[in-house]
Amino acid sequence: MGYINTIIILGGINIIAALGVAILTGYTGLFTIGHAGFMALGGYMSAIMAKEFNVPFPIAILIGGTFAGLCSFIIGYPAFRSQLRGDYFAIATLGFSESIRLLLNNTKTIGSIKLGGAFGYMAIPNHTTVLVVVIAVILSLFFMHMFVTSQYGKNCIAVSQDEVAAQMMGVNLLKTKMIALFISAFYAGVAGGLMAFYFAYLSPSFFTITKSSDLLAAVVFGGIQSLIGPVITAFILVLFPELLRSFAEWRLIIYGFLFVIVMIFRPQGLLGYVEMNFEFARVWWNKMFRRKQSGTQEG
Amino acid sequence: MSEEILNIKNLTVDFGGVRAVNNVSIALQPGEFVGLIGPNGAGKTTILNLITNAIKPTSGEINFKGQSILGKSPDRICQLGISRTFQNIRLFPQMTAYENVELGFHSEPHYSLAEAFIRTPHARKIEIDTRKKAMELLEIVNLKEHSHARASSLPYGLQRRLEMARAMATSPELLLLDEPAAGMNDDECNDLVQLIRQIHTSMKYTIIMIEHHMNVVMDLCRDSRIYVLNLGSLLAVGSPTEIQNNPDVIRAYLGERKQHD
Repeated sequence: MGYINTIIILGGINIIAALGVAILTGYTGLFTIGHAGFMALGGYMSAIMAKEFNVPFPIAILIGGTFAGLCSFIIGYPAFRSQLRGDYFAIATLGFSESIRLLLNNTKTIGSIKLGGAFGYMAIPNHTTVLVVVIAVILSLFFMHMFVTSQYGKNCIAVSQDEVAAQMMGVNLLKTKMIALFISAFYAGVAGGLMAFYFAYLSPSFFTITKSSDLLAAVVFGGIQSLIGPVITAFILVLFPELLRSFAEWRLIIYGFLFVIVMIFRPQGLLGYVEMNFEFARVWWNKMFRRKQSGTQEG
Repeated sequence: MSEEILNIKNLTVDFGGVRAVNNVSIALQPGEFVGLIGPNGAGKTTILNLITNAIKPTSGEINFKGQSILGKSPDRICQLGISRTFQNIRLFPQMTAYENVELGFHSEPHYSLAEAFIRTPHARKIEIDTRKKAMELLEIVNLKEHSHARASSLPYGLQRRLEMARAMATSPELLLLDEPAAGMNDDECNDLVQLIRQIHTSMKYTIIMIEHHMNVVMDLCRDSRIYVLNLGSLLAVGSPTEIQNNPDVIRAYLGERKQHD
């Protein structure tokens, strides 16, 4: 049972972080290979809040997420002002994330707080349970769905499809991208916070480029402009290595192979452009309801 | 002359060593319909790009409603009331026709970011309003039955109409049409002329239209002016008949007189 719980918790955390990448890469069209950095920022911040300042843990997680979101402006503002796009923006996020990791690696203490540098930040209170993660995933999914169907979300989609046309139609590119990046980093930060309260321990080595590329893989496999796709693949990408433990060394080779296959045969991802909607449920419900209604009318 | 809606003075732009637009001045009264013609490479699209600040001019002034719009970002210029279509259609390909038009309405969202996450009744009401307005525009350009088709799946002529509807959705005062009839046959051109005339009269837009189809330009600008550009400079300004009889224009653009009827 404990083993299954672990998979559910780690899968849920991965889902939340992947949702963050989905809004940025899937919906706004900005590739990122630096979300591990935002996870680290959120994770360390919420852990510090809870451990050193005795902040209740849901609030600590929100503070961690907000902190990661605010830190995203450090990279977002200059990058978007100078109109970095595509690979160039991805490289900028990678540099940002790696510098965060190296900073944490070399920071033993901040004032009286013992971050521990490369040894890791120890004795974080343990709060993350299956219930907490499930609630967090549901809330994350709900709010993200609300956002991407809002006028703000549609502007993000327009920017990803044709930046020039979007700007000519009055979309403020800087503002739209900054909002997307903030939300994206917030989600990554929350995922980092949940991770901290699950392991009760944080090490900079959790937040390497492998973590970032796993998240990007979830979105690329899952599909752009889709929420349900990345959710499914983010969970599978946690489950898969567990099921195939004996093939652990082959994992990255298999990923690389699958990447190429997906790029060739389905460049938009497995569920690309498939919006998460419950239309089928509504149709089904209407059918049931109508049948009942017509039945009563006949009777 | 403060009532001029657009006033371009001595506009010049250099691309490296090439002077793409040379000392062009154009003034428009509100509600006018003006044509902009010229051979390929005359700088017509460049002028539209300068007005919307996709390109920065080397020198000159652009005033919109008495206010300089030089150096303002393209999105700001759009919010001020200048909208355009593109020579090579630039729709949002994976969005539906309806979503394309709707974007023009909410490129500056009408509710706060917090309301995007928790859809309040206020935000929902705004969305329903936007939906209604977008549908009305689609009806004007006769695309209502295609509202849920992906923009990229529409036939070429309909994409042109959709782009026009999207430009109208930003509620502009000045509409810049870049070759709306490009690649259309005569029948389609006639329909388009009717549509543009209807839009012009019912919406009270001021319109600048670049076009290569002479029938379309001469027809739509018959009560108004046509500006002729050649190699970046203004060659002539006048009514369609004046332009048709201008020897310079004929030499530069329309070819020999005996071939023209």
